[in-house]
Amino acid sequence: MPRLPLNSRIGMIPLMRKNIAIVEDELALRENYAAALSRHGYQVKTYGNRQIAMQAFQVRLPDLAVIDISLEDEAEGGFDLCRELRALSAELPIIFLTARDSELDAVSGLRLGADDFLTKDVSLAHLAARVAALFRRIDALKRPENAEEILRRGSLSIDGEKMQAAWKSVPVILSLTEFWIVHALARNPGHVKNRQQLMDAANVVLDDNTITSHIKRVRRKFQQADSSFDAIQTVYGMGYRWVE
Amino acid sequence: MSIRLQLSGVALTTLVLPWAGCHYARELESSLRSSQEQSLLASASTIANALSAQPQRVFRNADLRAFDARGGDLYVHPLMNQPLLDGYQEDWGIPWDPISLPTVNGYPVRLQAGSTERYLYLYAEVDDAHFDPEPIDVRPDQERFDRFEVWLEGRDGTIANYFFATNAPGLTAAQYVAKDQDEDTARVRAETRIQAYWLQTVQGYHLEARIPLSFVGGRLWTQVRDGGKGSAGFTPESHPAGGRLFFTTDGLDGLLDTFIREGTRATVIDANALELGSAGQVSTQPQGSDEAGGWYRAWLETDASGLPPLTVAGGRFGGASVRSALAGEPRSEWMRGEDGSMLLAAAAPIIVDGVTRGAVVLEQNAEQMLKLRATAFTRLIHSTVLATATAMIVMLLFAAWITFRIGRLRNAADGALGSDGKIRLDMPESSSSDEIGALARGFERLLARLNEHTQYLRTLGGKLSHELRTPLTIVRSSLDNLESHDLHEEQLSYITRAREGTQRLQTILTSLGSAARVEESIKQAERVNFDLRTLIASTVGAYRDGFPDSTFRQELPDDPCFLRGAPDLIAQLLDKLIENAVDFCPAAGSILIRLTRVPGSFMLEVGNDGPRIAAHVLPHLFESLYEQRSGRDDKPHFGLGLYIVRLIAEFHGGTARAANREDGGGAVFTVNLPMI
Repeated sequence: MPRLPLNSRIGMIPLMRKNIAIVEDELALRENYAAALSRHGYQVKTYGNRQIAMQAFQVRLPDLAVIDISLEDEAEGGFDLCRELRALSAELPIIFLTARDSELDAVSGLRLGADDFLTKDVSLAHLAARVAALFRRIDALKRPENAEEILRRGSLSIDGEKMQAAWKSVPVILSLTEFWIVHALARNPGHVKNRQQLMDAANVVLDDNTITSHIKRVRRKFQQADSSFDAIQTVYGMGYRWVE
Repeated sequence: MSIRLQLSGVALTTLVLPWAGCHYARELESSLRSSQEQSLLASASTIANALSAQPQRVFRNADLRAFDARGGDLYVHPLMNQPLLDGYQEDWGIPWDPISLPTVNGYPVRLQAGSTERYLYLYAEVDDAHFDPEPIDVRPDQERFDRFEVWLEGRDGTIANYFFATNAPGLTAAQYVAKDQDEDTARVRAETRIQAYWLQTVQGYHLEARIPLSFVGGRLWTQVRDGGKGSAGFTPESHPAGGRLFFTTDGLDGLLDTFIREGTRATVIDANALELGSAGQVSTQPQGSDEAGGWYRAWLETDASGLPPLTVAGGRFGGASVRSALAGEPRSEWMRGEDGSMLLAAAAPIIVDGVTRGAVVLEQNAEQMLKLRATAFTRLIHSTVLATATAMIVMLLFAAWITFRIGRLRNAADGALGSDGKIRLDMPESSSSDEIGALARGFERLLARLNEHTQYLRTLGGKLSHELRTPLTIVRSSLDNLESHDLHEEQLSYITRAREGTQRLQTILTSLGSAARVEESIKQAERVNFDLRTLIASTVGAYRDGFPDSTFRQELPDDPCFLRGAPDLIAQLLDKLIENAVDFCPAAGSILIRLTRVPGSFMLEVGNDGPRIAAHVLPHLFESLYEQRSGRDDKPHFGLGLYIVRLIAEFHGGTARAANREDGGGAVFTVNLPMI
């Protein structure tokens, strides 16, 4: 797996340390995540359940929240928390990090407005990359558009800086993972990207099924913008490619 | 032995019913017979007692000397009808029961006597082939001719001599032989009041004579003489003490008639066993069918042919009962009637002043009662046989019903574990309240437990892969954290090993959860039209890259094969089949992927040159958690790969099966996918 230039990206983080909230009922994991993210220069606060987290959030919102779906006794506590958090702030980046890998959970999570959905298979390095990317996107959104960062492939335009995609100028809201998959495919149209390559591009460790469902979701999102969308082609047994 | 057969055997025990019925009937029969004997004997004794109170009405003859047929005594049978004088005895209405007259020179003569109220009848059959006619103007003491001589002792005690002879057979009058004291030669005078019929036959002649009772006292001698030297009979000279006539008693018949019931004959005999009077009639063969008689008799041993016959010889009664009664002991006896029917005879002595003067013999036909009992018995047998047959049929039907229910239960039990690995919990009969219902409910409980267990096992993989993920993540994230510290090389190598371990654990968890994930993707799968041929061609190309050590061959149709389904799932199905084939195919072998069109569906075959699959394994290969791999390799196997193949095939309405190649060179896995 090619190492991404994480440090270079971390170097782009402003001096003001970002606040990250980790809501995770498993103490060891919580501490490990906290340690890793702290090492990358973030200020990390950890919470064991939804109530404590919510109390803290009502006092002060973090810059980014990493939430587990099942929290102690609440099997869907993470979803509830996400909902409440979205009610407090529409822009706050939220990452679901869960042991669950069912597609239904992923869809529910993303529909609630999460920016990304990660399984716990993800490595700490990848997690950090996600976090960094999300912050970068938020920062990029505040800056004026930089034409150089915009990649155009037919009707598709991708802003690598802001990590946003548009189809025929209609913005398509993609999660971070989805964005990276589209990005990887669209960068070299016609080239078949196999699942492994896509996983590497998206900084995730996923099984084939998950890639399939990600692709499916991406297609659906584009099709909402344009029902005749069929730029992502399946090459069975190999992977996917972008056709113009 | 099937339950049906066993219950049939049990049903056979109902045959005991007719058997017991037969035995009961036999005992009943014997007790009824014994009571019939007792009652007849009691009747006989009653009559005998009644008669012994009025001996003068019974015994007219005061002569108590024994009847001596050899001494010339003659029993006179009572005749009911007036016979015709025609030389035949048949119209006498009694059996031909003659005595033979004694002869010294072989001259056979048979004689029988009978009487009506007015006449004494004599009937003789003489074997004398040569007819010697009576001369004209006969002198009986000098001339020789065929004659039938009779000496009659008159009421006054004088003895008169008559003879019958003729020169032309036919009706003839007796010749009275007057023997004067002073004359030597006898004079002959016709006595027309005594008549006879002379019937000439081939053997000799019959003589039927009629003598008015007014001529008859107590005695009579007969002698038959040939024209030659033959003679037979008695004369007053030769048998002065004999020649007594034994008549029945007048009026006794009427007296007896008052005692008896219908169907019974009462006979009073004297001490000589000669009949003095009788009344009643033994009812002869009763009317009605004889359907049941035969075997009933056989069963109840009522065949009369073995019994002693009713014997009346020379007018004298024979038989054990008569002998016993005349010895003073009443007795009953089963006898055979003239027509072969059964008779019950009871004899009781008539004792007057301590002397047994005679006996009363009652005869009753047992046939009537026998018939009644046979009919009743036959009905009994018929109904018990019917009952037995009904019981057997009912038992057979019941057995069939029970067998059917058990069979249904067994089939359900056999099929409870479906080939898809699912357990059907509903058992037939479980709503029945009997033991079979209880058994069915027992099965249901067992299956429910089994189902829980199976469900648990089936979801165990998914649960494990889920539950283990968190601790694994802890380990891995800890390793990640550890790695970020400055470590020297040795420490790093440990971390690398630990990472490899977690990686393998990760792989294991992924495959453990694979079936659950496929089931989930099946739930959400969308069907599209796609070209199966292109998909296969494309995937086989990928496999060639993915498994460079294996050889792949493909045989595909020339034109596109459009299928409606989920191409992702089909690709996964192929993945599993190929993985399986690669695992088993030897290095030198090849894997053949063939797609053919068969009517209505596509047939996808993946064959390899690997070892044959044991026959007992074949039906289970596609079951969940079925794993027969004995060897170990670096990959974990949970018996889910082919199960996933089947899940996907079934999602497409198709089937998956495995078989050994007919040439014996390996195995073929076939998936059938309907076109619609």
